[in-house]
Amino acid sequence: MLKYTIKRIFLFIPTVLIISFVIFFIIQLPEGDFVSSYVARMQAEGEVFTAQDVADLRTQYGIDQPWLVQYFNWMEKIITKGDFGYSFAYARPVWSVIMDRLVLTIIVSLTILIFTYLVSIPIGLYSALHQYSVGDYFFTALGFLGMATPNFLLAIILMYVSFKWTGDPLLGLFSTEMLQEGVHLYNFGEFLQRMIIPTIVIGTAGTAGIIRTVRGQMLDEQTKQYTLTARAKGLPEYVIVYKYCLRAVLNPVASGLAKALSNIFSGSTISAIVMNLSIQGPVLYAALKSQDMYLAGTILLVQAVLVVIGTLLSDLALAWLDPRIRFDRKG
Amino acid sequence: MSLFKKKEKSEESYYLASQWTLIRKKLMAHKLAVTSMIVLGILYTTALFANFLAPYGLEDFSSDYKNATPTAIHWMKEGAFVGPHVYKMSYTMNKETFKREWEEDTSVMYPLKFFVKRKPYRLFGIIPSDVHLFGTEAIGDEEPPRILLFGGDNLGNDLFSRVLIGSQISLTIPFVGTLISFVLGVFLGGISGYFGGMVDNVIQRVIEVLSALPTIPLWMALSAAIPPDIPVAQMYLMITMIISLISWTGLARVVRGQFYALKNEDYIVAARIAGVSNMKIILKHMVPGFMSYLIVNLTLGIPNMIIGETSMSFLGLGMRSPATSWGVLLKETQDINSVAQYPWRLIPLIAVIVTVLAFNFLGDGMRDAADPYK
Amino acid sequence: MNTIDTILQMKDLTIDIKIDEGTLNVVRGVQLDIKRNETLGLVGESGCGKSLTSKSILGINNKKCNSKGEILFQLNPEKSVDMLKLNPNGKAIKKIRGKEISMIFQEPLVAFSPLYTIGNQINECTRLHVTKDKVKSKALSIEMMEKVGIANASKRYDQYPHEFSGGMLQRAMIAMSLVSGPKLLIADEPTTALDVTIQAQILDLMNNLKKEMGMSILFITHDLGTVAKMCDRVAVMYLGKIVELAPVRSLYKTPLHPYTNGLLGSVHRIGTSREKRLYSIEGTVPLALNLPKGCGFYDRCPKKIKGICNQKQPELREKSEGHFVACFACEHEEAKHE
Repeated sequence: MLKYTIKRIFLFIPTVLIISFVIFFIIQLPEGDFVSSYVARMQAEGEVFTAQDVADLRTQYGIDQPWLVQYFNWMEKIITKGDFGYSFAYARPVWSVIMDRLVLTIIVSLTILIFTYLVSIPIGLYSALHQYSVGDYFFTALGFLGMATPNFLLAIILMYVSFKWTGDPLLGLFSTEMLQEGVHLYNFGEFLQRMIIPTIVIGTAGTAGIIRTVRGQMLDEQTKQYTLTARAKGLPEYVIVYKYCLRAVLNPVASGLAKALSNIFSGSTISAIVMNLSIQGPVLYAALKSQDMYLAGTILLVQAVLVVIGTLLSDLALAWLDPRIRFDRKG
Repeated sequence: MSLFKKKEKSEESYYLASQWTLIRKKLMAHKLAVTSMIVLGILYTTALFANFLAPYGLEDFSSDYKNATPTAIHWMKEGAFVGPHVYKMSYTMNKETFKREWEEDTSVMYPLKFFVKRKPYRLFGIIPSDVHLFGTEAIGDEEPPRILLFGGDNLGNDLFSRVLIGSQISLTIPFVGTLISFVLGVFLGGISGYFGGMVDNVIQRVIEVLSALPTIPLWMALSAAIPPDIPVAQMYLMITMIISLISWTGLARVVRGQFYALKNEDYIVAARIAGVSNMKIILKHMVPGFMSYLIVNLTLGIPNMIIGETSMSFLGLGMRSPATSWGVLLKETQDINSVAQYPWRLIPLIAVIVTVLAFNFLGDGMRDAADPYK
Repeated sequence: MNTIDTILQMKDLTIDIKIDEGTLNVVRGVQLDIKRNETLGLVGESGCGKSLTSKSILGINNKKCNSKGEILFQLNPEKSVDMLKLNPNGKAIKKIRGKEISMIFQEPLVAFSPLYTIGNQINECTRLHVTKDKVKSKALSIEMMEKVGIANASKRYDQYPHEFSGGMLQRAMIAMSLVSGPKLLIADEPTTALDVTIQAQILDLMNNLKKEMGMSILFITHDLGTVAKMCDRVAVMYLGKIVELAPVRSLYKTPLHPYTNGLLGSVHRIGTSREKRLYSIEGTVPLALNLPKGCGFYDRCPKKIKGICNQKQPELREKSEGHFVACFACEHEEAKHE
């Protein structure tokens, strides 16, 4: 197990390096760069730039070189100094721009991840054990609807409902008072309340997916030979379900961890823009639009690395759950 | 005796039926899948004839109908049946809420007419015509009132017409995208699984990298690279390619796994020993073996593409005006206040949900039908 | 018939399965009894309903299967229960499953959950049916593993199924099913998935344990070779019906039913000349959907009598002592002899 873990962690590094390269390649794809879009904006406001000014700006930001050189410079600084570059739009180092949002992004993502599993596994089990019951149909229908509604539109609907009911669309994770005073114990409840809609909005699609996996897998398990053996032994039904089937159902759930995380990032990016959540999504959106390339690149890189870590964790969880993998990798 | 014969025959046909016949039979027994197929058939037909079915073209708008409420179609007048007709609408500005308040002028009745001539368009992009399925005709010199079944948008465009015309883009992008990802997936997954070794390693690494990137951020990054001023057709193609760029990876994995498993089957080894070319083995002997599986996968992938296009356009990174897709229409619902005031703007959402659900149900039914153990 | 000597009695057992195309009559009126300390062989081709018959004894058939008739199990000298009347999820049947009647399955590789150790899965049975005491039950489980010939049992107790070979797994399976000392063991093709040499070992093991522990075995197989080695009596099943039932010697010496003849003809015996081709039965087993009203073997039968065999179902009749057959042609021949 230890050897396997080390091997997996070792494989992690080249993967991340390739990812960083792909991301940088994509980020520099748009025609022009931050300076050209910045100059265009400034000129529209009546500022005058000479060609020399523009060239100076480019040199200052280090974007006058070919993109491969830029990439290697960027990577070098990340590896040697932990410096992720400079955000042109914020005029601050990238890391300081995303730091506080990163923490919040992780908190929100983890909350949603836990919510997803807590809700979907019991429902999936219930649906499988009561196949074709009213409850099964209800949850299946709800799951389908959840999957079919793009989550940013779910956000709009829920905000609309909340607006109609309470007069507050619950935009953002913090109220104005919270922004001034910070989050404390006394207003933590309100923070949680403001987490409800984002959690439902971003979590629903993933929840629906896992319900389907759990239900399908559970039904599959019921027909497995060892379930029959267990039944022939005279084991009570709950032991069969919880000891044999549930344990086997956890495997695909564990292996879906990375995918779930990736879906949450996907869903949260766009929903955050709609709901004005102070997580990374809106910053990424703005950075992409203004070609603030190091900022956009770093956010994408951080998300991808988190997903790769998720893959790593889910592989390790899988090895821990399944003795066949655990022993295979030992030798 | 004849009864016996018949029975024998039906039994025989059960045993001899090809895989595809069996799948089709099972699919036809799946009610939800059949309903979905019908719904999709209707949706695609309306998309095909959208220009004819839509009473107004995209440039045919009037600022008098900005944010108009959906037009009511009346059947009775003064207690007597007179057939479908509409009235002229006029609005007054509410000084407090700055909302337009609409009122019907019931003095003049405008009957609903079929095959009305209005602005010219080209059916299927080729046949020039100016006939629309329904509309109103002028009485005297005055411009006849418009029929806005789904209400008006903030330019005074007919939302109903826009939903219809928008479906042309929203419903075809996933198809073209599916085609692209199918070709990519089968090709790359195939060579990865068939040849193995170095090629396999490289392709697997690429897939791993692509699937580590969260979809929507990646789409956003790629769409940002599309120059804003290119023609609609080109934009359409680029969006499609971006959307299919991600979905081929899942397919390639499946194909690779299948190739891996099939490669050592006796009949493939026999074909190889007999000197059949690699390409022919792949296309003639291996792909048909898991074709049904691929089709199911593709069908289940379509909803993601629809949601993808909608999301991109919603953010202003996908299709942009003057092109119209459901995502473009929903972009106008970004502002919660506009939804609160003009809730009919959410109607395109219903179109999205219905389509996505239909594809999901159809894919599910196909999966059940293709599973030989069910 | 002395019912005390009979441990299990099936009376007119029928099993139907509902599918989209109609109803499959998989088992059609099986009458069978298993005596104390006897090994009864149940022989037939795949799909003839022998596995479903055995599973219906324990009530572990798929929900789609509908069993009718009676399966009387002699719980103790005073009391017998109808297994079909018991709630398949109830407490009463769980006290019989694994304790009074155990079952061994065809494929040992998939009969154990891959996620738990062998010891864990055997011990489950011990704790459930023998003793709740943790230390005692573990000792008992290991003892049973040694008894079935698993060397180094205390170490292998903590190993997972994937670390066992097929033969060893089947031994573990036997240990698991016998640890509670059942009165009846149902062995559903226990050696089909194993190598020939290992097959022989497992069969010997079962024979020895049977003698030692004193139980009855319902031995299900499609292999007449193993039947000769194991069984006291044999029931031949075709298309959901018992077509011949006889003591094992009598069956091999004077097989009566054409189907049994066919089966025996397709077994290769030492001593037959090499040129002699193995006999094969023509045609395939018909689908159990909309069965003809005559004998199920009619289409494939070399001795069929038109007008009789395709008109009604033959019933089991005793030909010589303990030798039953269901065949019109056999009766016809007999009549001619007289």
